[in-house]
Amino acid sequence: MKAVNKMSLGELAAFVCAHLRKHGIAAVLSGGACVSIYTDNRYQSFDLDFIENIPTSRKRIKHVLVEIGFVEKDRYFVHPATDFFLDFPAGPLAVGSEPVREIQEIAFPTGRLALLSPTDCVKDRLAAYYHWNDRQCLAQALLVAEMKEIDLKEIQRWSSKENKSTEFQFIREEFVKASRKRHRS
Amino acid sequence: MLEPILGSRNKERILLYLHVRKEGYAREISRFFKTDLAPIQKQLERLENGGVLYSRNAGRTRLFGLNPRYPFLGELRTLLDRVLTFFPPDERDRLVKVRTRPRRKGKPL
Repeated sequence: MKAVNKMSLGELAAFVCAHLRKHGIAAVLSGGACVSIYTDNRYQSFDLDFIENIPTSRKRIKHVLVEIGFVEKDRYFVHPATDFFLDFPAGPLAVGSEPVREIQEIAFPTGRLALLSPTDCVKDRLAAYYHWNDRQCLAQALLVAEMKEIDLKEIQRWSSKENKSTEFQFIREEFVKASRKRHRS
Repeated sequence: MLEPILGSRNKERILLYLHVRKEGYAREISRFFKTDLAPIQKQLERLENGGVLYSRNAGRTRLFGLNPRYPFLGELRTLLDRVLTFFPPDERDRLVKVRTRPRRKGKPL
């Protein structure tokens, strides 16, 4: 097994995810780390947000993570050999007001990683853009659309359910352009 | 009214306050309900850790509000609206009827 200090974000996330799964904890990677994975690190995140499908006690997570060298510091889990850190934000696993229905799995040499699909990853970033007006998150969503196939119709439907149809119309063309870029490359 | 469900009277106070006033800070909420500051701060932190609230800094003040990304926000607001209908009218007015439009500095009442 590769040493923790040599692991990429994806490899480390898969390593943690597989270890948690071994102990019966089903956690799904969410947030900026998914953007990092889908964009081959064109956006770099150090924060690995895992959301549990079925809530587990903090004490149990702490106990399981200690086995692979992560210790709790403030509300995060850190490892002496890496700058990446783990967070377990409160669930449920959702994008906006909807539950996540399809969970993606990617195999890494360090294990299998459960994470948001590219389409849900875009929704997750857009939720931050819609509600906090965070343009960095819009840029991240567009980066994912440039690199991965996303379901724009589904994002339009979801935006409408979030009462953000007008906002979506303003950015729709940018997503179309991002998809075209992907097809060209 | 929601204390049996939420397990804390202060949690209910905080949620009602932020539902109506959109944003608020710990001291303001504790003053409004004439209660101690520390338990309000503790519950604000718990609700933020649970994803129900967000916080942001405005100068040296930490403002809290209901998190628009909380998946059950719509249902929570419906419940809080229902709770408000059971409030005595004067209490509800005290919470709801507050001047929110700007006032120029030095303007006489």
